[in-house]
Amino acid sequence: MAVCISIIGKDNAPLYLTTTDLDKELELQYRVHAALDVVEEKCQPVSKGTPDSKELYLGLLYSTETHKIYGFVTNTKIKFVIVVDSGNIALRENEVRAMFRNLHMLYTDAVCNPFYAPGEPLTSVKFDRAVQKIMGGNA
Amino acid sequence: MRANVSLMLSHGASETVMSRPDYEQNSLHHGCLLVLLRGVGPSKPRSLQKAFDKVRRVSNVKINDSSGITRDIWVRYIHDHPVENNDWGDFQTHRRLLGLVTIGKFENQTELNELCRQHESLKVRYSGTLYDSRAIFFGPTSANTTDNVNSAGGDQQHVDSRNNSSNINSNSVGIHCTRLQDEFTTPSNFKAQAYFYREQDSCSDLESHIAEFIHALFWVLESKRLDRSREKVEKISLLLAPKEKRDFVGMDMDSRMNRKRCVGRVMKNLADLSLQAGLVVEALGMYHSACDTLRAIGDSLWVGATEEGLCSASAILLYPHLRESDTLHRNTSLQDAGSSPLRNTPEKWRASDVTVKVHANEHQHNSQDDGPAVTQMASASSSCSSVSSLLTNSPTSGTPSSSSSTSTISAAQHGLRTAELPSNILKPDELHGYYRRAIINYSKYSHAAVIETEAALKAARICIEQNRPLDVAMFLQNILYLNVSMSEPERVKRFEVITDLYHQIGYRRKAAFFQRLAALKYVQQGNPNPDWSQTYRLMLESFPGYLLSLDPMEVIDNAAGWPTLQIDLLQGVIAAARRLGQSALATRHMTFLLQTQWAHMTPTEQSDMSVQLQNLSAQCEGSPVPLVLENGTVIPPANLTDLPYCVDLVVRDLPAHLRPQRIKIVKADSGPFLFTPIHLNSLDRREKKREKNKIAFLWVQNNLSEVTLRLRNPLPFELTVSDMRLLTNGIVFESLPQTVILQPHVPTTVTLHGTPIEVGQLEIQGYSTHALGVKSNCRLKNMRGRKFPPNYLVDVIPALPRISVKTSLPQTATFSQLASSDIVITSASLTLYNGESSTCIITITNDSALPVEHLEISINSNVEPEIQKKIFSIDEKALQTKLPIQPNSSIDFTVHIYGEADFICPIVSQRAASVHSSSTMTATLQADFAGGSGGGGAGPHSLQYSTLSSSGHASLPSRVSSPNQQQTAHNRRNDPNNLSFRSSTSGGTTSLAALSLPAGGAHGNSGQGYGQHVEAQFRIKYSGGEGMQEGYCRQCAISFNLELLPSAQITSWDVLPAEIPSQFYLVLDVSNLTAQEMSLNYTNNKSILIEAKESCRVPIPVDRCSLEQVVAAREAEYAENMEKDLCYRTQLLSFSDSISKLCSEHIAERVKISWLLTGTDIQGIASLHGIVLTSAMIDLTTVSPLQWTVSFQNTPVQPQSEIVCAAGQSAILNVSVCNQSAQPLRNLVLTIKFYQDYLNGMENYNLDTRVAISGSNRVSIPFLQKHAQIQHECTVIFFTPGRFKASIQCCSKPQVSAAAAAAVAVTTQSAVGAATQTSVDPNVPTLHINDIVGSAASYHEQQEHIWKFIPPIEVTVIEQ
Repeated sequence: MAVCISIIGKDNAPLYLTTTDLDKELELQYRVHAALDVVEEKCQPVSKGTPDSKELYLGLLYSTETHKIYGFVTNTKIKFVIVVDSGNIALRENEVRAMFRNLHMLYTDAVCNPFYAPGEPLTSVKFDRAVQKIMGGNA
Repeated sequence: MRANVSLMLSHGASETVMSRPDYEQNSLHHGCLLVLLRGVGPSKPRSLQKAFDKVRRVSNVKINDSSGITRDIWVRYIHDHPVENNDWGDFQTHRRLLGLVTIGKFENQTELNELCRQHESLKVRYSGTLYDSRAIFFGPTSANTTDNVNSAGGDQQHVDSRNNSSNINSNSVGIHCTRLQDEFTTPSNFKAQAYFYREQDSCSDLESHIAEFIHALFWVLESKRLDRSREKVEKISLLLAPKEKRDFVGMDMDSRMNRKRCVGRVMKNLADLSLQAGLVVEALGMYHSACDTLRAIGDSLWVGATEEGLCSASAILLYPHLRESDTLHRNTSLQDAGSSPLRNTPEKWRASDVTVKVHANEHQHNSQDDGPAVTQMASASSSCSSVSSLLTNSPTSGTPSSSSSTSTISAAQHGLRTAELPSNILKPDELHGYYRRAIINYSKYSHAAVIETEAALKAARICIEQNRPLDVAMFLQNILYLNVSMSEPERVKRFEVITDLYHQIGYRRKAAFFQRLAALKYVQQGNPNPDWSQTYRLMLESFPGYLLSLDPMEVIDNAAGWPTLQIDLLQGVIAAARRLGQSALATRHMTFLLQTQWAHMTPTEQSDMSVQLQNLSAQCEGSPVPLVLENGTVIPPANLTDLPYCVDLVVRDLPAHLRPQRIKIVKADSGPFLFTPIHLNSLDRREKKREKNKIAFLWVQNNLSEVTLRLRNPLPFELTVSDMRLLTNGIVFESLPQTVILQPHVPTTVTLHGTPIEVGQLEIQGYSTHALGVKSNCRLKNMRGRKFPPNYLVDVIPALPRISVKTSLPQTATFSQLASSDIVITSASLTLYNGESSTCIITITNDSALPVEHLEISINSNVEPEIQKKIFSIDEKALQTKLPIQPNSSIDFTVHIYGEADFICPIVSQRAASVHSSSTMTATLQADFAGGSGGGGAGPHSLQYSTLSSSGHASLPSRVSSPNQQQTAHNRRNDPNNLSFRSSTSGGTTSLAALSLPAGGAHGNSGQGYGQHVEAQFRIKYSGGEGMQEGYCRQCAISFNLELLPSAQITSWDVLPAEIPSQFYLVLDVSNLTAQEMSLNYTNNKSILIEAKESCRVPIPVDRCSLEQVVAAREAEYAENMEKDLCYRTQLLSFSDSISKLCSEHIAERVKISWLLTGTDIQGIASLHGIVLTSAMIDLTTVSPLQWTVSFQNTPVQPQSEIVCAAGQSAILNVSVCNQSAQPLRNLVLTIKFYQDYLNGMENYNLDTRVAISGSNRVSIPFLQKHAQIQHECTVIFFTPGRFKASIQCCSKPQVSAAAAAAVAVTTQSAVGAATQTSVDPNVPTLHINDIVGSAASYHEQQEHIWKFIPPIEVTVIEQ
């Protein structure tokens, strides 16, 4: 379903990135990186907004001819970015939401590992396997 | 002609869709008059730039129209305008080019003609829309001046005007102008109005000319507007956008809907014109109505246009300052077409947004007040503005304006509002909604893509103004969707504009993304002429978006961003640089990549990149200097700081023997305590902590110094690092290059050398390398992950001399165990027999260029200083006279070495000794004792040599024979007579023999040839030159290894009475411990040969120690004891200590045994230092206090004389004793015993059947006054013939001092009574008790003493 899933730390350094197509990985990285501007913009505290009703899901960050890029940010300012193929019309936004939710849970599990130091790239094989499942759409 | 061709070409192109979006446009440009400002002619000198600026500055003109209303007219100058854009002029009137201004420079008539031709051709090209045109010509200066001079005949005024102030110049301008126009005539077909200026002219009236030109444009526009507004509804024709015609093919043109369409479109057109003519409020209303009309009939394209018009009109009112920034920017950005007009940083933008909002609010409140003030200002300025009278000349001007119109130039004034904001204005919140709708409307028509793109850009700019970054992003994103058929350069341009807008809203990453896209577009595959320089430029500019900076240290410090992207981008930059042929840049970026991204690369990538760098640097070597690009960008140096990786860096002290030291060590004042936790100078300590990088030791000027590095090569292949040098700061330092080849992953230690040339503080910052073809300065402060200080500070002191030392002796192989052995520079070894003497010549050579002015030699060794002094001796004075040592010269000096040793055998196991002595030595001793009757009975473990054998306990206990401690103690308790001196004083006396020999080692009998090792260091402190003045010196040392072999050894000794009372015999058992035969010379002319490992016994006659000396020693010790008693109240030392010392020294002084190893010239002297004597020995050694006078049968007994008497006859033995000592003696017991000496060691005292004594043989003398004499007489009868000996001795016993006085009288009396012939000296008794008190603890009283009459009387009894 998704083409690329990436997790970006609070200092905007990549923690994890996986793509379905290795050839396009660099290009997708560029896109995900460029999407961070919008994520940051959306994360900026709105003075009117009440803090408790904070929505983690940021929605569509931007779309290009080929890809749609969705964003999600956790309370600890960890950003999740999912790139979806634009051609995939069947994909509903709710499904994207679900993907983010699953990803969030996986991430939470991964960082619960006492041997993981926050801020370091995620290298857990188990985590990677689970994320690949999400990408495939059968999480 | 050319112009016509191009015109035709452009017309042909105009059939297609407008293909060039105007990326610079913003909403406010809807209300501007479009004027093409173009430089013409071949030369475009810089001087014209001023004219361009002047023209551009006139962007806003206030014009009072016929009804008296002030119109605010804005002009937009553009540099280039595609003719086809005019085709959209009906759709949006601001797209029409209305005016033309050309600026040109000419030198002669031909050039002027060309300028005119170009102007005309431009006019022709835009003839469809052009209202008016102006030409500004700059004529030649110098040629003109000469012309002037020639024509006016050297008119002084003209020369002045050229040289002097502008004021005069402006006065003469008129003349010049006319002259120019007179000189050069424009061609006949040139119809435009031209202004002529000199090149250096200030063109002060240019602005007013332009303003007047704008007036002209305005009036034409105004007339058009009026025409349009007066058109009859019935007559109006349908306005069409390009390509719209075919949409209406076959449509009923007279339908009601079409009519409405006509009306709506005309209304919209009118609104556009009104907007341009400064009637914003009117335009707003018209837009609204046009919008309503057109929307009703679903004319989407034009609805979009009206909506955009609405937005523009509102924006003009809402954000008037946008214009100002635009104009100001245009002034500064010159003619740089490539760069974007708004280049504000995001921060600035956000800040300005706030101020704008405030400003706008303020303005709304104050607009009422503003109005009159502004008009006042306008009127004030109008008074000074020039009245234009040239309007009538304008060929295109339709309405001849007779009314005097005043023009006001106001470039700086902004924020002018004629009225309050109209009610129908769009709210700021609505703007982007309208824009969005307009864009949606446009998007329905593919041929309107350019319009849509421009609208999106305008919308984005408005949103930037409104601080809606998300909307900006949305609009910009939308642009990308538009499928405009455009050329590649246009696409690139689009990306660049988008980049710029993203920059403005602070979306660095987005901006960088598009910048990179643009960069890639320049060199896309299929691009016929790739422009790598643009790619390179754009890629460099996109660095900040990826958190990269040109400075590698900044990148490393930040350590942020996406490494993958950074590496990719850097590789792109490297590729671009390489394609450009800029090998230096490529090398630099590659170095940068390796330096900054090393940690993020896999080992394979690392080695790949390194190889790439090597290849790049083969073309151009990298060096750590900043590179400057053409556009002024400075690329700071990149250094391969971690290639090789420096594991650690140690600044090395100089070798110990070259290390500078203080000549005089200032003793630290630490107060009365050795350690105190209180540090009063805590400030100093803190300072010390701060200067952690301060090196504690010193380097010396002109002295090669070194720094040790440990380097690791992280690459999988061999890395050659050449030209490694130290990077220093501060004083001049000459660094020596070093080349190393590092094997992969193996830490290698490299030593970098250098010589400080000056004196002062040297700062070591790191080192420079040349690896992979790149020169790098690896500074410590740039090395991360290791705990390096930013630099090391080393103090360099003035130069010191340097010496080398040689000795005349062979070097040692052994290693010195002494402290500070590191300063040893040479060594010497010597083997000596104990007692042997030798010399060593030491040569000191000065190797340096400085004289050695100071030289100090000290000797350190593992023996005690006392002994050391005896072993080594140097003539210091002679040495000092040889100073200074001039450069490259040398001096010699001699060290005398003596094999000092303790020749006295230490305590050895008595068993072995006794066997030894008794079996082998007795014979020799007996042989030696010519007159003395040797022999002796021996106890189980004691050898007794007794000549006066009367009783066993009176024998002389020799040291050899001494039992062990316990036994001695036991003996003493049991038998007070058998005194052991050793037991009480052994601890003290060993100090005499400081050279303690290894136990058993020196013992001759054991046969082991252990040598004694003396390790010594001759430490030489030397200095000279400036270094000495600073108080520094150097120290080096010679390690001296002296092996002392045992030679002669005195295994035991004894003291025997000599033949004359003034002497005694010191009997020594001397062993030859060498492997050679030894000739021993023990007295003046007596010598004896001892076989190797053999020993023999020698008697040495020695003078007795005089009583005076004893007394002196005793008194000295008494005084000392008194002192000690007062001070410490400790146990008093016994007096015997001092006496025994005295005796020991007495013997050592007098007895020197010299030995010679026969067959060699090795000889030496054995001293008897440290000989230990028992109290009995001491009694023999010292002169006896008692003087004996013995007569037998009334003949005094002479030593060695033989007395003969017959058996059975009585003989009178008279003994008289005289006290010669300084003290009185008490409790003396005089004993006379006869015995027979069997000369085999046995003495028979049991002579009851052979001898009888009549009279007491035991007399007690209670008190013997000084110089007093006592006599005792008895009679002896020998019963049998034979040889008898008589032992006459006087024994003193210590007594309880309390009873002494009383006892004296009693015993004296009884003694007198008992001894028949004992006569006490008359002046004796009890008188001298007082005398005694002072020396209560007198030596003679304190201890038992036995004084014998020596030698014993020998009586030969013969048969009658």
